[in-house]
Amino acid sequence: MALDAPAPASRGVGVTRMVRARAAVLEDYESPLQVQEVQVAQPGPGEVRVRVAVSGVCHTDEHVIRGDLPLPLPIVLGHEAAGVVDRVGEGVTGLVEGDRVVLSWLPACGRCQACRSGWTGMCRATARAAEKGTLWDGVHRLERDGRALHVMSLTGSLSELCVVPREGLVRIDADLPWREAALLGCSAVTGYGSVAHAARVRAGSSVTVLGVGGVGLHVVQAARLFGADRIFAVDRFPARLGEAERLGATDLVAAGPGAVTEILDRTHGMGTDYAFEVVGSPATIAQAFNVIRPGGTAVVVGVSAPHAEVSVNAFAFPSQGKTLKGTWYGSGDFAQDVAALVTARHAGRIDLGSFVGDACCLADVNDAFDALRAGAPRRPVVVLDASL
Amino acid sequence: MVFADTDEVYRVLGSFFESLIDRPQAALIHKVGGVVRFHFHNPEALLAWVPDDPAVTGRDFHVVLGDGQPPALLAFEQDADLANRFWQGRLDLAQALSRQQIRAVGPLSRAMKLLPSLDEVYPLYPDHVRALGRPDLVVPS
Repeated sequence: MALDAPAPASRGVGVTRMVRARAAVLEDYESPLQVQEVQVAQPGPGEVRVRVAVSGVCHTDEHVIRGDLPLPLPIVLGHEAAGVVDRVGEGVTGLVEGDRVVLSWLPACGRCQACRSGWTGMCRATARAAEKGTLWDGVHRLERDGRALHVMSLTGSLSELCVVPREGLVRIDADLPWREAALLGCSAVTGYGSVAHAARVRAGSSVTVLGVGGVGLHVVQAARLFGADRIFAVDRFPARLGEAERLGATDLVAAGPGAVTEILDRTHGMGTDYAFEVVGSPATIAQAFNVIRPGGTAVVVGVSAPHAEVSVNAFAFPSQGKTLKGTWYGSGDFAQDVAALVTARHAGRIDLGSFVGDACCLADVNDAFDALRAGAPRRPVVVLDASL
Repeated sequence: MVFADTDEVYRVLGSFFESLIDRPQAALIHKVGGVVRFHFHNPEALLAWVPDDPAVTGRDFHVVLGDGQPPALLAFEQDADLANRFWQGRLDLAQALSRQQIRAVGPLSRAMKLLPSLDEVYPLYPDHVRALGRPDLVVPS
């Protein structure tokens, strides 16, 4: 529960009235997160302060901890969350205090060249802010003892309170459990969108999913939702393959150099119509490209190290008409995809609850990351406010 | 090509690297934990940050120019023109890596930890090149 007694006026953040909250802060790379008392500002114009109910932990947060993603420190991690509107800033419409919301870590400013061109998933304002660990225009809304704190991708949801742009919130109904709602903020939308928008999987098609962890399992489920006839799940953890089978995978393949040959053998040498790489490694990206049939499409979902390079056969592009493409956050419209997922969930066409793994409190946030690193088949989550 | 020859790369970028020895960023360079090599093209030049034992030498690293460098833990390869842009904050490293304008071999994450602190360093480079009589190397914002 947040400690909302007013804190002393802030000099560094530019807003005088702050409230206290607890947050998981990364002070140094390759170090455990520290749960600290922080001060949270009032939301500015166009911003909303959210009381976070549940936040998932994601491999992208882990990339920051390891220093693979050079975000500035100290930083509040977490970007996959749902909560309640605590306070709205000036000019905010469509949301009131008490509304239940899911957070997007890629809000679209609507003004940059990318947004105006329709590429809201490549919003330049958000990319710049995310790189700097701030909100748009370099704003900080969290601090500790007068020192500004950075936030993960305009969210920083491993905090009892966070301040986000209005554009980064989607309202949800009250009958969606918080733990499921939180996953809509990243893994569910990314997995679903990869299938729906990046690949546009058709009914009756065949699909390979390389990596069936948190996001990959959503890819498997979405492929089934869109009518894929055959779904090959590839992973090195048997428990994850078991989950993939439960969600609709028809064929289970052990990860390794022989995975492509095995799938080719099972498809009469053709390969699959689509392949999704959900690991983030050059080797499996190459496998995704190699396993698709002539004319097929391979979609890279996994996040590699920024200097990683992949080697594929150049002649295969023209001679086999293959497509190799990427997707960022599922390449769709966040609000529409959340709505589609919620509708499908309520209709029983997809399952979100079984994706939720062990839950812990904020004090035990490092245990959640340990579970993630150990290859937990389900998404570890952190409960920030059990009273919601 | 903004640098006339290899010697000019060493005169400008080599001396700038040496100026970092006295800056707070030197400790982060030391923490990379090994030799960081820069292989520039057009013109060809090799520069390296070589970590020292501060207790012995009183500094976190030193700069080696040209051949005869110790084996590198982390190596960058790029056009010298892009290095000129990078050190004044005019090159997005993530974009340059993704477009293979810069290639890196080795544990890049160790150097990436240095990146946020370079915001303090970038403004120094234009003054550095002006002092060397090369104001033309400053990239307009």
